[in-house]
Amino acid sequence: MAREYDHLFKLLIIGDSGVGKSSLLLRFADNIFSGSYITTIGVDFKIRTIDVSGERVKLQIWDTAGQERFRTITSTYYRGTHGVLVVYDVCSGESFANVQRWLHEIDQNCDVVNRILVGNKDDDPERKVVLTQDAERFAERMQIQLFETSAKDNKNVEEMFTAITQLVLESKKKVQDEARNAPASTIRVGNKKSSGKSSKCC
Amino acid sequence: MFYVPLSKNSSANAMDVSKLIQKKVGPDVICKQAVECVSVVEGKRYLRYAAIVEKKDEQSVFVFVANRVPCLQSADLSLEYVIPIDAQLRCHAAAPPKQGNEKGEFRLTLKSSFADIILEMPKNESSTLFLAEVTRARDLQTQSLAFGEVPTFSWLEPFRRQCTQGNPAGSSGIQASSSGSGAPNSSDSHNPFANDSFDPMKHMNLQTTDTKVMATDVGASKTTWFEDDFASMSLKPPELLNASHKSVSSNSLDKILDDGDGYSDSLEKQFGLSPSVEMPVGSKPGTSREKFARQILSDREDEFTNQTTFRVFCGTWNVNGQSPAEALHKWMVVDNDAPDIYAICFQELDLSKEAFIFNDSPKETEWQNAVKAYLHPKASYRKVKSIRLIGVLLIVYIQEKHVPYVKFIDTDSVPTGIMGFLGNKGGVAIRMTLHGSSLCFVNCHLAAHQNETERRVQDHHDILAKTRFKQFDPPLRISEHDVIFWIGDMNFRIDLPNDEVRTCIRQGKLKRLWEQDQLNKLMKSDGDVFKGFEEGIPQFDPTYRFDAGTDVYDSSEKNRIPAWCDRILWQGPDIQLLRYDSHPHLKVSDHKPVSAVFNTKIRVIDQKRYKRVYEDIMKKMDRMENDYLPQIKLDKTEIIFNDVKFIEAQSTVVTIANVGQAPVEFEFINKLDDTSYCRPWLKAIPSQAIISAGACCEVTVEVYVDKSCVAKLNAGEEKMEDILVLHLTGGKDSFITVAGNYLISSFGSSIEALVQLHGPIREVPVADLIEIEKPGSLSRVDIAQDGGRLYMVPKEIWKMVDFLHQHGLDMNLPAGDLSVHSVAEALLLFLECLAQPVIPFEYYAQCLTSSNNLLLSKQTLVLGLINV
Repeated sequence: MAREYDHLFKLLIIGDSGVGKSSLLLRFADNIFSGSYITTIGVDFKIRTIDVSGERVKLQIWDTAGQERFRTITSTYYRGTHGVLVVYDVCSGESFANVQRWLHEIDQNCDVVNRILVGNKDDDPERKVVLTQDAERFAERMQIQLFETSAKDNKNVEEMFTAITQLVLESKKKVQDEARNAPASTIRVGNKKSSGKSSKCC
Repeated sequence: MFYVPLSKNSSANAMDVSKLIQKKVGPDVICKQAVECVSVVEGKRYLRYAAIVEKKDEQSVFVFVANRVPCLQSADLSLEYVIPIDAQLRCHAAAPPKQGNEKGEFRLTLKSSFADIILEMPKNESSTLFLAEVTRARDLQTQSLAFGEVPTFSWLEPFRRQCTQGNPAGSSGIQASSSGSGAPNSSDSHNPFANDSFDPMKHMNLQTTDTKVMATDVGASKTTWFEDDFASMSLKPPELLNASHKSVSSNSLDKILDDGDGYSDSLEKQFGLSPSVEMPVGSKPGTSREKFARQILSDREDEFTNQTTFRVFCGTWNVNGQSPAEALHKWMVVDNDAPDIYAICFQELDLSKEAFIFNDSPKETEWQNAVKAYLHPKASYRKVKSIRLIGVLLIVYIQEKHVPYVKFIDTDSVPTGIMGFLGNKGGVAIRMTLHGSSLCFVNCHLAAHQNETERRVQDHHDILAKTRFKQFDPPLRISEHDVIFWIGDMNFRIDLPNDEVRTCIRQGKLKRLWEQDQLNKLMKSDGDVFKGFEEGIPQFDPTYRFDAGTDVYDSSEKNRIPAWCDRILWQGPDIQLLRYDSHPHLKVSDHKPVSAVFNTKIRVIDQKRYKRVYEDIMKKMDRMENDYLPQIKLDKTEIIFNDVKFIEAQSTVVTIANVGQAPVEFEFINKLDDTSYCRPWLKAIPSQAIISAGACCEVTVEVYVDKSCVAKLNAGEEKMEDILVLHLTGGKDSFITVAGNYLISSFGSSIEALVQLHGPIREVPVADLIEIEKPGSLSRVDIAQDGGRLYMVPKEIWKMVDFLHQHGLDMNLPAGDLSVHSVAEALLLFLECLAQPVIPFEYYAQCLTSSNNLLLSKQTLVLGLINV
């Protein structure tokens, strides 16, 4: 109880317009769901403190405008991000198809970052068009963890955020360990991979 | 007891003071709140006025000395301290350390590199507001720090120069003490009567004479406040800890005992429960959010705690300097149920001079070992801690199984003996937190003799008031514990003649004696003495004073009256006394040992429920934090301007409503690598402002195409589209898209394009326009075939120059409806808007050099024409 938090992480939610990014955030941060749709025109954030593996993590979660016309501006908000949630709508094949583009967007704007794939609006089997197995296959190929959620039914939301937090925490620990185990004299300057990791990830 | 009475109508007074202070600090800054208060410096008390002064978003506490009482004009005030309220400032409010706080004042401690002061103020509206304001300002600073905004407080400089105290380099404590009679003032040196005239307290005869209480206080305030390190902030420096343990031998003794025997190792060592490992609850100078969470958590404690009964054995024995010659189990094992906790108290453990002077006692080892040997055989125990002050020894044991739930063990001792500070009498205390409850055991040896009741009461008060568990910050007092056991040789006697007492004992008329027992009488009276403490009625004979080795009451010359000297008292809810006995079979001493067994309810935390409540609180706090984030509503996020014309402004108003709970600062920020927040043809006024909660701000968004940007729009290099990024300080960003269709005019078009155009420019398809605007478009025109279609001079220039040629040379000639000046101005503007001047840049230098030679000029012209 000594400190307000042990870690402070910045998470970013991206994905096509209308897939439910703001709803996920609202559900997770304030435990609210509003059926009415308001397009996010801008970039908003909320905070939430959670305990992960006994450590208190304060999350600052940024919700971005999904509309194509804001793509260039929103890309500036990727900076300093520890984890990215790529969201698609399980009822929209197009939003799933665009995931590839969003992943590319991450690669363009972040060096090393933890990612998680989120299929939202998983609350009506009738309307679901992106099959779980297809999404899983894709996630496996992209080496990214998949969560099917519903902000409306509060399904898997908590689990999904905990998972990405855990990923970020683990990679932070890893980087710290690497830094501790590698004395200054043995750092290989030429090894881009490891140096990039330690400087950008956390 | 020694509280300085403040003006009766304190709040009304504060209003006036607030005005005075506002006058004093000048109009550039705002005095937000002012209170009359008392500054406590080394136990002395001075009247002060404290104010919160604000400029922009930065607040500071100003402390003023009143040169005159009552204070009537601003000149009567002189500035003593200027303390910026930043993230570094530590403030703490608590009740002042003294008995009977009926008046309801509180003590505010402010510590930073600028000051270290204690202010006492009455609990009233203005002081509460003051405190709230300080806390709020501090939190805001901490928050903005989190967003990387570092406050400067540069506006404080001029005030700081006026200050008599609190320069960051100097130690305010020393200054305060050297000035002795208080209120130092800048004009002191010029005024031989300074000390008299500037110390209103002196005249009001308000200085306290009680130095005992304050002495501890000053000591306690010398914590490591000057360090920046958060973790060490709340801990005392090691020297101080040692100093407080000087009179006791507990630490060294543990070592002696533990040699070759890990079993009795004190908990602290075994489990790393030393004060530096884990900070006690309430000691961390954490954020207000953290404090708030803790408060809610303790409010909701019932939701996640169970009351579990713990059996506590308390024993006390004045051993008269003897060694343990008998088996102690008769005293320490009273029944079949093994106590969970043992608190064993000895007095007059060692009467030797060595114990008194060198604080070293071989007797302690003997008794420690004896106690250890006779703990209840049905359970295994671990020593929590022991502490000795000369002959007063307290040992606390706990059953092995409870060890993981014991935290924050601390001890203190208070001598009250000869001269009031030697250790032949006094008290020692051990505190610990067991599960969710705090326990405190006190072993005291109070003043002796039949007629010294008052002295005993004073000793009791001194121990109660001066005991400080310094591991905590602020140091914890005995009274702040859930469960207190007050044990010892309290030396209270029976107010009856010796003969009567002895007869009553023989006849078993204990009730008669009990009625005349000094402590019993005190506790029954309504006074403050032993307030809150309870005791069982002893069903045993008085335990004092026997001829050593016998059960015979004192037969010596002194022939002392028998008395219940050895007592066990308790304080706290849900404590049930099971037994209260004496043990006459133990005869080595002139006292008989006494024991009491209690069932004590301890709050045990249910981890599952605790987690649930904790998470719930966290969620609520997060939500509050989110609610406090800046929130705005925009009435539009998309603006479209129709038919924007050259140098004709169009504008629309965007209303920004602050729908959040705090003032919002907004600013239009640059995108990506842009150098400005918008395109040159766009403007938002104001581009930054602060909106108070619930208010609105109207931002005028204006498009205006002037000569600087027209060329690019004409050439199609730039479209009339932009996104404004409205950034809220510490909050979200909103986007406002602005678009418009620009009506192209010949202004800003290139000469190359214009010579190709025959009709009005707007009748030409945009695609064609873009094509002919491209640099070098002219060279692609087949002059032989199409050459007839090209003008030598753009018709716009030709017409205007021609008009001026016809009308402008003679100002008096009528020029029809058109003014010569208008045409001249239009021509100038037209020329200004050209991306490339009439004389192209590449010929510019050449033209200049040949300008004063007709022949050369002609050559240049011909050369230029050929090239084109």
